[in-house]
This record gives sequence, C-alpha cells and structure tokens, in this order.
Amino acid sequence: MRARGFASFTAAVLFAGAVLWSLATTDVELRRLVSSGPRIADFLGRMFPPDPTVMEEIVSGSAETLRIAILGTLGAVLLSVPLGLLASETMSPPAVYRPVRILLALIRAIPLILVAMLMVGAVGLGPLPGIIAVAFHATGMLAKFYSEAIDGVARAPIAALESAGAGPLARLRYAIWPQMAPVVARDTIFRFELNLRESLILGVVGAGGIGFYIQTYVRSFQYDKAASVTIAVVVMVVAIEAFNGALRRRFS
Amino acid sequence: MTAAAQIDDVSFAHSGADTSALEHVSLSLPVGEIVALFGPSGAGKTTLLTLLDGRLRHWCGRVSILGASLDPDHPPLRACRADTGFVFQEFALVERSNVLRNVLNGRLGRMSPIRAFFGTPRERDLQVAKTALADCGIADLEDRRVDSLSGGQRQRVSIGRCLAQEPRLILADEPVSSLDPTRAAEVLTLLTEAALVRGATVVFSSHQPDLARRFAQRIVGMRDGRVAFDLPTSELSEAAMADLYRDAAQMPAISLRVAS
Repeated sequence: MRARGFASFTAAVLFAGAVLWSLATTDVELRRLVSSGPRIADFLGRMFPPDPTVMEEIVSGSAETLRIAILGTLGAVLLSVPLGLLASETMSPPAVYRPVRILLALIRAIPLILVAMLMVGAVGLGPLPGIIAVAFHATGMLAKFYSEAIDGVARAPIAALESAGAGPLARLRYAIWPQMAPVVARDTIFRFELNLRESLILGVVGAGGIGFYIQTYVRSFQYDKAASVTIAVVVMVVAIEAFNGALRRRFS
Repeated sequence: MTAAAQIDDVSFAHSGADTSALEHVSLSLPVGEIVALFGPSGAGKTTLLTLLDGRLRHWCGRVSILGASLDPDHPPLRACRADTGFVFQEFALVERSNVLRNVLNGRLGRMSPIRAFFGTPRERDLQVAKTALADCGIADLEDRRVDSLSGGQRQRVSIGRCLAQEPRLILADEPVSSLDPTRAAEVLTLLTEAALVRGATVVFSSHQPDLARRFAQRIVGMRDGRVAFDLPTSELSEAAMADLYRDAAQMPAISLRVAS
C-alpha cells in the first residue's frame, strides 16, 4: 500500500514537472493567446463562404491521392508477402524472423511525412515519391500483420492434411490459406484506409495529391479555397471509413 | 497374411519429459480387425496412434504398417500416409471451408502434387468423397461451412475425410469423447460399418468401457505407456478393465456407463 502511494506520488511530481518545463521553456505568452481571439475569428471569417470554384482541383487532387493510396498499398502488399513470411515464427527460424521483425519495427518508427520528404529529394516532385513513401511506410505494419496471420493459424488441420498425405504446397493452399485469407483481407483493407488518410497530406511536402492544394491556398491566403479543400478531405475520410467498415464486416 | 500393423519393442519419450510415453510396446494387429485402445489419460493411447500414423519421430524399436517398415527419423511416403487414415479428437477441420472441401482434403494424398495444389478433383475423387459423405449421413450438408455445424456433424465430416482417403488402416483418437452417449454409439457404428465394407482395419482409443466392448473385437489395455493386456473382447473381464483406472482420482468411464 505504502509502495503504491509512493509510486503515484512520484508519477504526479514527474507529470507536474513535465508540464511546468514545457510552459516555462516554450515562450507561451498568455496575453498573446487572449488577444488572438479576434484574429482567429477573422481568420475563420475569411474561410467563409468556402469557394466552390475549385471543384476541378478538388476532383483531380482527390483522384491523385486515391491513386497514390492504391498503388502504395499494392507496393506494400508485394513487399509484405515475402517479409511477412520471413517475420513469421512458423515459416522462418529465429535467426531470420528476429532481425526481420526489428527491421519492420524500425520502418514503422519513421513517420510517413519524413519518408515522403526524403523521397521528394530523391526522385523529385509528384505522385511517384508519394507512392514509394506509402509503400515503404505501410510495409512496416502490413508485414507484421501478415506474419501474425500466419502464426495465428490452427495447427491441427495442417497435421490432418499431412496425415492424409498432402504435400507442403497442398497444405498451404487448403489448410493454411483458408484460415489466413480473411485476416489478410481485413488487414489489407485496414492498411489501405490508413494509407488513404495519411496520403491526403503528402502534397504538403510536394509528394502529390490533394494536400498540394491545401498548402498552395493557405500560403497564398486564399482561405475560402482552402476551406473547400478541407471540407472535401473530411468528406473523403468519412466516406472511406464507412466504405471500409462495410467491407471489413464481410470478412469477419 | 501380413498384419495391418506390427509393433516390436517400441519405446518413446517426448522431448523434455522424464517419463516415457511408450515403454517396450509390442503389438500385432491382424487385417480387418476392430481394436479398442483402452486406458486412462496419459496411458500413451494418442502417442501409439500417432506412431501408427507415421507422425511420431525419434522413437526406438521396429514398426511396420501395411507391410512397409517405418523410419523413426523420417516421415513415410505420401502414398503410405494416405493408406492410414486418422480421425482426430478435436476434428482438425478447416473451419472456413465447406464440408465437401474438407472431405476432398482427404483425397489430396491420392492426387499428384500439381493436381492437389490446383484443386481440380477427378471424377473418381468426387465420387469417393460423395460416397464417404453419404456413408456418414451428411450428404445434405456438403455446401455448409464447417464453422456452422454442431459437434456431432463435425465428427462425421472428420470421419468422412478419413474415409475419402480410402485408408486400409483407420486410426481414431477418442473419436466420440465430445459426444453424448447416443451420438457416440451412432458415430462408432458408422465408423466400424464403413470400415467393414471397405475391409479396413480400425484402431480407436476410448475411455468408455461399454463402447470398447460393444464395438471392438479386441481390446488393448494401456497404462503408463505399457500394454497391460491384449485380449479378445469376449475373454476380457470388466474387473480387468476397471483395474487400469485403479489409482485414478475419479472414474469418468464407469460413471458414464451408469448414466447411460
């Protein structure tokens, strides 16, 4: 009891210390925050009414974002199948799956926007660096999910097919794959949804898609146009979520 | 006539275990006989069945199944594996596949690896599978997914898959332990009758003395990895069977018999 009291006291002190340290060193001027009320209102006012004339840009930007997400997901799937096999306990020895899992964790640790900036530097502006960045970033998660799908397969049906004289390929096809397929489908749809959401902002760093217009309109003070694009992005995210939710339920 | 299975002085211990799962076991199973392996949990029944199925590794002794000797360190050839059918205690079905697909899985060892992979059964494969379904009384379930079936139906699918292999030796590991007494008797009836029609030898393990007596011509009693007795059912006393459970805390077999 006493040990627990001490632990929560320590946690409270650390938390308070962290907040004070952040406030003291970040130069947060409370007066500025108070006086900025009218300025925020003015800013929001300039976003209204949203400018509907940018429909063409919205449609072409959204289409490009969708293409980046589709091709990026495809690239991630192609990379994740071999890496997922290598990261699985059942298909690979510890000397292989341990380093592969560490590699995947490192890939996951790099934010997409950072990968995209590096890729823009490497291959230039446009959707191509976006596609490469999405494929690379998504592989960190998707390969891990695939390896978990492989490792989650029940062993007994595999033993039963082996007992019946089925070879390794037939066992893969008729005992392992039917168990894995719904999990793989669900994980891939989930990752596609994340890819689409995350690639909406790729244009901000010049890696293609609708984010490019948000950046352009904000920088040129055309807030009414930026508002239209923002509304389009929100609508897209909601639509994707609804669509993928319906799709995922089919694979449960 | 060669024996369906000949076991000479086989011993085996699971890796890391301090006691043997099988100790100096010798048995000879004549072709066409129905044999019950009887004994408490941990007696070595499942291990012995796994050995007969060719799935056990690193045992000592000599074993020959249907005239072919087993290698303790390597799995038998595909054709030999198809000759022994195994009915698993927990069914071991592919839950998301339908009944016909699961039964056709029993044919995979009878197809070339390429045909097995691409999954185009020949007319004969389909015919054998459908006969097995009919024999198990589940012909009307062939399009149903296994995860929508009851325990008794699943056990029939599992037996159907075994029969579809056209096995000459059928090994059944506690095939009715999860079923109520009436269903248990039905399932053992269809298993033994299907075996009789096909001229196959059957070895099934059971905790239940009444079922062993009713369906087996011979009962092999096991305890602590050894064969305690090996007698025709008619010569075996109930006392000898009960004796195998002598220090068991409870006797599920006996109480179940009274209940049924």
